[in-house]
Amino acid sequence: MKKMLFCLVMALFFFILVGSVRAADKRIAAFCGSASKPAMEQAAKAFEKERGIRVDLHFSGSGTMLSQMKMAHRGDLYIPGTPDYMLKAEREGVVDPKTVKIIAYLVMSIDVQRGNPKNIRTLSDLAGPGIRVGIGNPEAVCVGLYAVEVLEQNGLLKQVQKNIVTNAPSCSATAALLVMKKVDAIMGWRVFSKWRPDKIDAVFLKPDEVPRLAYIPAAISTYSNDKENAQKFIDFLTSPEGQKIFARWGYIATEKEARKFAPRAEIGGEYHLPEAYNALLGK
Amino acid sequence: MISTSHVVRRVSGERAFRAATLSALALLSLFFTGIVVSLAAYTDWDTLFSTLVSREILFAIKLSVVTATITTLLSVTIAIPVAYAISQTEFPGKSIVDTILDLPIVISPIALGAALLVFFNTPIGAGIENNVLRFVFEVPGIVLAQFTVVSALAVRLLKSTFDSIDPRYEQVGRTLGCSKLRVFFRVTFPLARNGLITSGILTWARALGEFGATVTLVGATEMKTETLPIAIFLSLAGADIEKAVAVIFILITIAAVALITLRKISGKAYPI
Repeated sequence: MKKMLFCLVMALFFFILVGSVRAADKRIAAFCGSASKPAMEQAAKAFEKERGIRVDLHFSGSGTMLSQMKMAHRGDLYIPGTPDYMLKAEREGVVDPKTVKIIAYLVMSIDVQRGNPKNIRTLSDLAGPGIRVGIGNPEAVCVGLYAVEVLEQNGLLKQVQKNIVTNAPSCSATAALLVMKKVDAIMGWRVFSKWRPDKIDAVFLKPDEVPRLAYIPAAISTYSNDKENAQKFIDFLTSPEGQKIFARWGYIATEKEARKFAPRAEIGGEYHLPEAYNALLGK
Repeated sequence: MISTSHVVRRVSGERAFRAATLSALALLSLFFTGIVVSLAAYTDWDTLFSTLVSREILFAIKLSVVTATITTLLSVTIAIPVAYAISQTEFPGKSIVDTILDLPIVISPIALGAALLVFFNTPIGAGIENNVLRFVFEVPGIVLAQFTVVSALAVRLLKSTFDSIDPRYEQVGRTLGCSKLRVFFRVTFPLARNGLITSGILTWARALGEFGATVTLVGATEMKTETLPIAIFLSLAGADIEKAVAVIFILITIAAVALITLRKISGKAYPI
């Protein structure tokens, strides 16, 4: 009797396993920086519904995702949060440079607690006494690297550094610092305030304070076994329907629109941490 | 009388059993060796050396060793009375207390870290942060996160040590006129010596490797809260696999030294 029950349970497990694998025959894997998380999840769902191709989304820091793809030699798509990591992926032969497409633009802002209780209006307010500031880890998180660039370009790196109480390990963890009320302000993406409008307000930078606009690129991996379906997902993301989803989450669709926030900013490219930053850390 | 064929069958049966257990042992050892050796594919000797002497990693090694040591001292100090109480006394609701103490061993560390983070948002937690000691994003938070994860392990290891000590030794000591306290320090404590060393070293090694709770509570700030596991995470997050592998080797070396020391000191396999 016991044996029969055991067999029954095992058989059930087996069918569940087989069933779940069978359910989606066509599936591709995308490794994404978490800067695109809410919109990407919705886009992948819409894409699966329309085309019957399942996209397994993996989210973490853009660099972590690149490491995982490189170590495992897996993945059909690489969609980091900023072009810096895409350039790295191109150099290391992880993606095909010819397939890179821009999905959406990102602009830096100061993100604060809802209602801005500490009345932070400008970049220099971040250097004020007793203000607790969080940024992403600049060596590992793109939004942290951009934060250091903004502060350096505006001559505030040293003054604000003394108020930086923590480095978050990822883009979404940087936003979470505000949601958990652990800091007064973060240097984040403007879209963070659209992710959690109940918790986060964005304070826009002055247009000439933004040295660089970021964008979310997507490219097909050289490890991909299904380049055709991977291309279909990129096409969907850049289609009007995909762009509408990103717009709904507060991402900026076109360069023209992004230019409104920073007319003279560079677009993309790479920024390297200045020696001055390492010196401040005592490295 | 046992027939010859019976003996032969028994011997061959023993052989098969021995072969089966030994091959399982060999397979598992090969598996662990294999995954470590495969790291060599990403090992770059120049990177390994320059990583080892970089100020960032030297800082991480020092921070990890210091915090894990403090955590271990705290954990073992508290675990000794706790484990003794659970092992030697009966009280109502003991199984519930026992289960509570086991939970941190099986709960995912990231969940414990998140719980700690939320705790410091409560009025009590905020009071501690503002008036006693800051834990969130600060070095004491590393010790707190490690303690939350490993103290239960120290209790579990020490409990099995105390369980294995025959209570008659204590009784004899008592009949010879020793006080309860004196018996504990003169009889039980020396008998538990190996168990204490074992649980101390294993707790230390586990604290050294703690990542999930630590990164959740204190973040990943360079030259401030960057322990060795966080350094591995940050290297991977920066897509620098060679550096990550270098730090992994440092961590493996420290852990191996700890385990070898353990075997040398305790002189036998650990009692778990």
